[in-house]
Amino acid sequence: MDDIIVKTITRLIVPFIQVYGIFVILHGHISPGGGFSGGAVLGSSMILFTLSFGLPMASRKIPHKVTSILETSGILWYIIIGLAGIYLGGKFLVNKEAGFFMGQAGELISAGIIPLLTLGIGIKVASTMITLFHTIIEED
Amino acid sequence: MGSQHFPVYILLSLLATAVIIPIINSESFGKVKALIIATLSIALGLSVRTLQEVYKNGGYTYNFGNWNEKIGVQLVVDEFSAFMGLFIVALSFLIVIYSLKDIEHEIKPQQFTGFYTLVFILLFSMLGMTYTNDLFNMYVFMEILSITSCSIISIKRKKENYMASLRYLILNTMGSLSVLLGIALLYMVSGQLNMTQIYLTISKIWNLYPTNILVAVGFILTGLGIKAAVFPLHVWLPDAHSTAPTPSSALLSSIVVKVYIFSAYKILFKVLGQTIVVGLGIPTYITYFAAIGMIMGSIFAIGQKDIKRMLAYSSVAQIGYIFLGLGLATVEGLSASLFHIISHGLMKSALFLSAGSIIYYKEKRDLRDLDGIGYEMPITMTVFTIAAFGMIGIPGISGFMSKLYLSFAVLGANKPIYLAIILISSFLNAVYYLPIVISAFLKESKNRRNIMAIERLPKLMLVPMVIIAVAVVAIGFYPQIIMTLVEKAVPTFLL
Repeated sequence: MDDIIVKTITRLIVPFIQVYGIFVILHGHISPGGGFSGGAVLGSSMILFTLSFGLPMASRKIPHKVTSILETSGILWYIIIGLAGIYLGGKFLVNKEAGFFMGQAGELISAGIIPLLTLGIGIKVASTMITLFHTIIEED
Repeated sequence: MGSQHFPVYILLSLLATAVIIPIINSESFGKVKALIIATLSIALGLSVRTLQEVYKNGGYTYNFGNWNEKIGVQLVVDEFSAFMGLFIVALSFLIVIYSLKDIEHEIKPQQFTGFYTLVFILLFSMLGMTYTNDLFNMYVFMEILSITSCSIISIKRKKENYMASLRYLILNTMGSLSVLLGIALLYMVSGQLNMTQIYLTISKIWNLYPTNILVAVGFILTGLGIKAAVFPLHVWLPDAHSTAPTPSSALLSSIVVKVYIFSAYKILFKVLGQTIVVGLGIPTYITYFAAIGMIMGSIFAIGQKDIKRMLAYSSVAQIGYIFLGLGLATVEGLSASLFHIISHGLMKSALFLSAGSIIYYKEKRDLRDLDGIGYEMPITMTVFTIAAFGMIGIPGISGFMSKLYLSFAVLGANKPIYLAIILISSFLNAVYYLPIVISAFLKESKNRRNIMAIERLPKLMLVPMVIIAVAVVAIGFYPQIIMTLVEKAVPTFLL
C-alpha cells in the first residue's frame, strides 16, 4: 500500500505499540497481561508495519531466519529455566524452593522465575505471529 | 533420586528437538537425521530406565514446580504409563527410522524439516497424554495432538489430502469441544481437575449427581470416540489414514488412536472408578458400539480396492476389539484390551510399512495389481503375510493371542454372544486379508515370470519392518513377555 498518511502514522505509532507490548510482557507477574498478550501486541506492531510498507521492507527489518531463531530460543529459554529448577535441587519449574530471588510482592523485580518465563513466552508469541503472517502472505 | 525426573526429560528432549530441527540449515539433512536418531535413542533409554525404576520402587507422581496437586499440574508415572510410554517411544522409533528413507519419496525435500518437527511434537503430546494426571492438561495435549496429526496428513499437498485433513480437523474439533464440555461438567461436580482428587471427591458424592456424571462421561466418551474412531464416528479415518504419507499413516493408525483410548481408560477407571462406571451402566453401551464396529469395519474393508484404505477400515474393526475389552470392565477384559493395543500397534504398523514399501517400490496401490508380487518383494510380502495372519488370528502370531485372551475375558464376563461376534469378525478379516496373500504368492504376474529375487529396498526401510515382524511372531509364541507387563499395569485401573 503506497499511501503517505498510512506510512507516516505507522512510523509514528509502531514504537509506541512496541513499548506497550514490552511493558505488558515485563509486568506480566504483577499486573493483568503477561507473555501471551504482550507478545501478541508486539507481534501486531510488526504486522502493521508489513501491511503498510510491504513484505520486502519488513523482511529487511526482521528476516525470516531471525524470527524462526527467536521462536526456537523462546521455547529453549523456557526449558532451560525449568531445568534450572531441577539442577538447583527441586523439580521442573520450581521457583521459590530453588532459591530464586522472590523480592517484594508488587515490585517489578520479584516473583523469581516468572518474569523470565514471561519474557520467553513473549518473544515466542511475537515471533510466531510475525512468522505466521509473513508465511501466509508469502504463499499468497 | 535423579531418576524421578526421567519422564520430564523425555518430554523436554522431544520438544526441544522439535523446535531445534527448523533452525538447522535445511541443506544438511544428515545433521537433522543424526539429531532425530540421537533424541529418539535418548528417549528410548530413558523410557526403559523409567520402567525399571517403576518396577523396582513403585509408581509415583511428579508435581511440576512443587505446587500441590489441587492447583498444579501433575504427571503420574506408574506401571501403566511407564509401560505405554516405552511402547510409544519404541514403536515410533522404528517407524521414524523407516520414514527417513520413505519420506523422500512422498513429500518435497524442503518439507522434510517441517515433517520431523511435526512428528516430534506429535510424540511429545502423545507421551504427555499418557503420563498426565490432570484433566485440563490432558485436553491441552489432546489439542496439540489433533492439530499435529492433521498437519502430517495434509503435508503431502494433494487435493485428497486437503479434503481428508479438513474433514479430520472439523470432526476432531467437535471431539475436542465435546471432551472439554465433559471436563467442565466433571469440574462442576467435583471442583477439581486432578484425576486422583476428582476420584476421591466423586466417590463420596456421586449418588447426588448421577445425571451430571452420566452426561459428562457421555460427552467425554463421544469426543474420545471420534478421535479413536469407534464405529459410527469413524468416518474421517479411512480418508485420513489412506491418503497420508506412509510413515504418518503408520504412526496415526498404530499409536495415535491408541493414545485416545488410554485417555478413555483414565477417565473411566481412574477419574470415576469401577463402581460408578458400572453403577451407571456405561460399559454395556461401549460393548454394543464395539461389537457393531468389529463387524461393520470388516465389511467395509472387504469392498476396498486401495491397499491403504483397506488397512484403514481394518483399524476400525480392530479398535472395536479394544473397546470390547474395555467395555467388559473386568480385569481380564482390560488386560486383553491392553494386550491388543500392543499387538495391533505392532501388526498394523507392519502392514502399513509393508504396504508403503510396495507403493515405494512398485508405485502400485490397487489390490488387483498385486499378483505375483511375493516373488518380486519376498521380504516385504513375508512381513505383510505375518501381520495379515496375525490380524486374522492364525495361531503363533500375536493377534491370535489377543483374540484368545479377549475370548476368555468375554466368557469370564458371561457374555458368550460376543464370542460369536469375535469369530465372525475373524472370518471377515480372513475374507479380505487372505486374497492378497494368495494372489501375491500363488498367482502368476502379468508382466514377469515368478522367479524369486531379493528386492532392492533401502536397508533403512527393510530393517524396521523385519524387527516388527519378528516381534509380532515372538509375542505370538511367548505372550508372557507382554502379558506380565500388562498384568502389572491393569491394577492401576482396577483393583
